[in-house]
Amino acid sequence: MSARPLMLAAGIAMAVVAAPGCRSRPASKPDDLLLNAIRADEQEGNLTHVESQGKHLFLHYCATCHGDEGRGDGQNASNLTPPPPDLTAPASARTAALLKKVIIEGSASVGRSPLSPPWGRSLSGQEIDYLVAYCQSLSRRKAG
Amino acid sequence: MEVKNTAAPRLHIVFASLGLAFLLIFSWVLFHEGSAEWRTLQARFRRLEVTVKNPHQIAQTGSVAGLHQIWMPDLGRVDRCGTCHLGIDDPAFVGAPAPFTTHPGTWLSTHPTDRFGCTTCHDGQGQATDYANAAHQPQPFVSRSMRPLETIEANCGTCHRAFDPPDAPRLAEGRRLIAASGCFSCHEIPGFEGLKFRGPDLDSIGYKVRPAWLTVWLTDPKSYLPQSKMGNFRLSPDEIGSLQAFLLSQRARVPLDSTAVDWKKADTSNGRALFGELRCVSCHAVNGRGGTMGPELTHIGDKVRRDWLFAYLKDPHAVQADTPMPQYRVTDDQWRDVTAFLFSEYSSGNVDSESPPVAYQDARLVAAGRTVFERRGCPSCHHLAPIKDSGRIGPSLAGIADRDPDDLPFGSNIVRHTTDNYIFLKVILPDTLGLPSSMPTFGFTPADAAKIALALASIRKADLPASYVLRRPSPAPFAPGGKFGALVARYRCLSCHSVRGFGGDLSTVPFDRIGSQLQREYVAKFLLNPGAVRVSVEARMPVFHMLPDEAATIADYFSTVFLDDRLDAYDTTFTAADVRRGENLYGQLGCQACHQLGTAGGYVGPELSGTGARLKPGWIAAWLSAPQLYKPGTLQPDYGLSAADARALTAYLASLGGRSAATPQGGNAR
Repeated sequence: MSARPLMLAAGIAMAVVAAPGCRSRPASKPDDLLLNAIRADEQEGNLTHVESQGKHLFLHYCATCHGDEGRGDGQNASNLTPPPPDLTAPASARTAALLKKVIIEGSASVGRSPLSPPWGRSLSGQEIDYLVAYCQSLSRRKAG
Repeated sequence: MEVKNTAAPRLHIVFASLGLAFLLIFSWVLFHEGSAEWRTLQARFRRLEVTVKNPHQIAQTGSVAGLHQIWMPDLGRVDRCGTCHLGIDDPAFVGAPAPFTTHPGTWLSTHPTDRFGCTTCHDGQGQATDYANAAHQPQPFVSRSMRPLETIEANCGTCHRAFDPPDAPRLAEGRRLIAASGCFSCHEIPGFEGLKFRGPDLDSIGYKVRPAWLTVWLTDPKSYLPQSKMGNFRLSPDEIGSLQAFLLSQRARVPLDSTAVDWKKADTSNGRALFGELRCVSCHAVNGRGGTMGPELTHIGDKVRRDWLFAYLKDPHAVQADTPMPQYRVTDDQWRDVTAFLFSEYSSGNVDSESPPVAYQDARLVAAGRTVFERRGCPSCHHLAPIKDSGRIGPSLAGIADRDPDDLPFGSNIVRHTTDNYIFLKVILPDTLGLPSSMPTFGFTPADAAKIALALASIRKADLPASYVLRRPSPAPFAPGGKFGALVARYRCLSCHSVRGFGGDLSTVPFDRIGSQLQREYVAKFLLNPGAVRVSVEARMPVFHMLPDEAATIADYFSTVFLDDRLDAYDTTFTAADVRRGENLYGQLGCQACHQLGTAGGYVGPELSGTGARLKPGWIAAWLSAPQLYKPGTLQPDYGLSAADARALTAYLASLGGRSAATPQGGNAR
């Protein structure tokens, strides 16, 4: 008499326990090698995906004056007066809005020398956002 | 009667329980639909909406209730992602929590959701209306779950077939690596049609290389040259021995006679000076510096035979017909000095005398070598007259991104079985996938292999409708005839310069409209003694020691054929006021940051003190007004100059140097 409901209850209990097990992945998760390789490449400079996109652009458009690491030591820096700033120095005034304005409208637009040209018509809004993110990461990395 | 009486109550029970079951299922369905994830989310969104917008704005945007669906019949896709991602194209929701936040960046302005949907770029299951089934995370039995941002560039490449798609630097780099590594020599790769990759011609290799070097090279090319484009074929010592015998027996073309060369008279310091003057480093690297078009030269003395090198330098086209190397106008004695310099500077041994090439007598060994040569697909990259090119030895990569991972071998690699991971493994370690592979190991770094894998993962099976695809332009070949054509062939102009996309990209100046850009007199003088126009660019035009009438022929051809009438139509009557205003603008805009004028200024762009003698005014104005139009990615920014400002600057720049001072600057300084 009592064996049947007991077996039924046990069966239901087992099903309940087993059901999530069927959906969950194996305990040791196998690697996504492609993803890991890209992440390792990005993390070489401790950068997020967006910042590492900005780095590609920075090396192409900016590094010749600002230096590969943004320290203001590019190969053309010695020809500039005033020299390019050290972007790795912590500077609370260097906000995203200011960086964006300087990149789009040039350094003359914020009352500085005209030596850093306006890139707003040459780069897309997307590319400028990437650059702003990378420039911000430069001082963060030194602070951190 | 009796049967009826007994059956009726049982049927009642059956019907009653069935009815009950249907009622239960029906109410469960109602409950399930009513409490579906997307309904809860839409309720949350409505609560969020009132905090972000005022009632008037909400009334304008309309109701969010119900399923949102984008149907793209030409792509065969139905995306319901908008059911939950309700603020995706509404800037009011920037910074809102997932899934309501606005799409970052400016992509939706160029890829509107009603044309591209969501899964076209992101993958995932577009028809699902809950988080798990939409495959935001990898799901069992779902072949294309959503791509993480790190690999999303692969999907950019499905439509963007040009070599450098915008905003996808890894994909662009991956494609560049495929083009540079010549993967398409062995594999059919959609998007790389019409490209050629050739290793050196082997017809006369028996005269060219030293046996000891060939052993090292065949064992592992990277041990001689870390940046070698040839992969490691993992050959056995027997295979290497027979291949060596076969290759060193190849002596189809007898090189130019160099027996008359008196090596004792060689002046290595003159050779060193010539090596610099001829700008060999524009194409050849030594000790890690220099160009990559030609072979690296740091250990060249260990690789080639001295007689061969002399003959090759003297007439490269006679020794190797398809080489990109130009034929200079240099005397035999000068080439002797250059050869002696290369052997004294870039060789580990002492090369005072040169032994004759080795002769292999064992016909069986040579035949075995020939078998290895054909079996491993060497003819795919290397031309060898007695062996006909048997076509691509590797499998086609068309549709590789849609291969079913369950059909792919992964060997003993502990890795999630996805097509992406398979491609990556195959690129980086082709022999670890459990099946014997004749693909060589190229020794890519993981980062480079990932970029190549991204580029390959963009190659889908079914082609998209033409309206979605941005194809790679295929340039028409440029093969001029006559005297000019002979000069282009001799000096291999198209190794570095291009004509409407056909040719090399080492030079910064394509020929397309060069006659409207440069003054004819400047071209004629520059060709005779090319100097550095851009100080910061290492690759410079070689000093060919061209004859004056050859330079005149080229300059004349440029100024009659490669013209752009819009540039030549520019009004060049400038006033003194224009020039003065231009000079002021030059300082105000900060041009001196990148350009040198006399001794002041930067050296990112060209030196400008001779601009008037160098450039035509129409070109100066056009370039200043829209640099990106003429050269995408240039470091010259578009200042958005008004026509009047552009004209003033043009007047100022055209006044610099003047026609009387038409002398090219620079010289032979390295």
